[in-house]
Formats: sequence, C-alpha cells, structure tokens
Amino acid sequence: MLPSGLAEVVADEEDLARFLTQSSHFNTEIVKPAAVLPSPKSRETSVSRHGRSPLDVLWAIGLEAAGTRRLYGAAIFKAAAVRAALLTVEPNEPPPRHAAILGWPWMESDPELQRAKQKELALLIVSAAGAPELR
Amino acid sequence: MPETISARNVLGLSPPYSLAREMIAVSTAAHAVQKAASDEVVRAERTRTFGGKADAISQIWTLANECATPDWNGEGALPIAQLAVFEATAFIRALPDGIPLPEFAPEPDGSISLDWIRSRSNFFSVSVGTSDRLAYAWLDGTDRGHAVARFDGDSVPSRILEGIKALVQGANAAVRPR
Repeated sequence: MLPSGLAEVVADEEDLARFLTQSSHFNTEIVKPAAVLPSPKSRETSVSRHGRSPLDVLWAIGLEAAGTRRLYGAAIFKAAAVRAALLTVEPNEPPPRHAAILGWPWMESDPELQRAKQKELALLIVSAAGAPELR
Repeated sequence: MPETISARNVLGLSPPYSLAREMIAVSTAAHAVQKAASDEVVRAERTRTFGGKADAISQIWTLANECATPDWNGEGALPIAQLAVFEATAFIRALPDGIPLPEFAPEPDGSISLDWIRSRSNFFSVSVGTSDRLAYAWLDGTDRGHAVARFDGDSVPSRILEGIKALVQGANAAVRPR
C-alpha cells in the first residue's frame, strides 16, 4: 500500500488524469496529442490517479500540480489505454496519487523518428480520453 | 440599367460573388466594369485566403512567445526555437488552397504541433521542429501510423498532403447525402 492508500500497482480500470495547463492543448471536444507527450527531461508523462469525480478533489490535486500555471482542465483516460499503446504506468509518489507514464520510444540518433513514434502513441491515448473535463 | 457598383461591394463588405456573376452587362463599358468586378472577386478571394494563413501564422508566433522560456510547462519543456517558427510558417504558406488550416499546440521538446482533427479517432498531426525533417502520425479509426518526411520549405511533402486530404475527404464523405 502506498502512503496515499492506493495500491502499488495501477489497475487497468483505474482512471488517470493528465492536467491541462496550456490552452492550446485541447478544444472543447478533444485533447491534442501534445498534451500527453513525455517531458524531454524525465522522459515520462506525469498523471494523477483520479477520475472525473468527485470534481472538487480532482481540481484540488490539479491546482497543486499546476503550481503557478493556470489549470484549464484534465484529460481523463483509463490505465488500460496507456497499456494498449504499449506504454507502462507506475505509481510515483509523492505527491499523493502521482503516477508516471513510462516506456516512450527514445532514439538519440533520430529525434524526428522518435517524435513521430511518440506522437502515434500519444494519439492513441488522447483518442481514448475523448473530450476534456474542463474547469 | 446596369447595376451600380459600390466600393463597399467590391471590397467584400457584402458578398462580391453575386455581383460578379449576376451583373447584366448592357454595353462594352458595362462589360469592362463586370470584368473589373470579377478580377476584384479573385483578388478578394486571394486576400481572404491569405488572411486565413496570416491568422494561422499569427497564432504560431503567439504560441512561440508563450513558450519562449525553458520549462514553460513546469515539467522541463524546451522553448520553441525561432527556427521552428520559421519552419512552421513556411509549412502554412506552402499548404495548397482548399486544405483546411490546422490547430497548433506546443510540444515539450520545443516543436510545434500542427493538428487536423476530425473526431477523437480521426487525427493527422505533424510536428515541426528545427530540422527540415517533419515527424507526423495519424489515427484513422483502427488504422494508425507514423513517419518522417523532408520539407524543402516550398512544397508540403506529398505523403503528408495525401494524409491531410484523406482526413478532410473522409469528413466530406461523412456528411455527403446519399
């Protein structure tokens, strides 16, 4: 059991929230792939293990994660969608409920091909997410 | 009586198409006026098209300004380089008429994403960075893929153009009456 009380393994049916802090990363109907691409620094994508409800808890976690940046909303998708893209998701606390999407393709010798591969996987995740939950 | 042509009409403040197409010429002078009006329609259309691209290019610059500093997303993102902006604006200028303009988004590695979105399962997305090689990926129902194509700065790579057209034509097919 993790300090947050969550299980040490992220279950397929668990909801994951990717908080949206860039207005151009979504429209009212869809989240764009850029929103879930990995950080070039950590090579992972940060998510929180929380679904659409209760919304007040979701936004409290999101505001903490956003820091000084504006929080517009969240993309919500199942852990199974991440695994369907052949990526992994693992708990990464603290902060509580934090998890990371790992296993993104990384190719130092061909950054454009790396970007293309990552983008295809990101498309799968945002497709599973559907419309964003907006504040 | 020939119609009176107002500058307001010719300048596109009301639809100029009907003016050019429906005006009845009753004399050589009127014919000349009609041709001038037609030319003006073409010019206005070109301006309108360029206007769309100008708006798109303006959006790219706005995005670049918003993401000009390292760590703009709080997760270690790289700033959008000016060269990426030049590449992206060249790509927009190179898009043939009739191709819808994309939506834009910053990517954590400092690239600019150009997204054509039809639905949650129909995407075509191009990444423009500082290289002349463009990364792109698509999702079309259950079909998906990715590739890289070289951009010469003048012509959109044919494989990318075909991908965008396929997405757009799919959208047209979806609304075409039977």
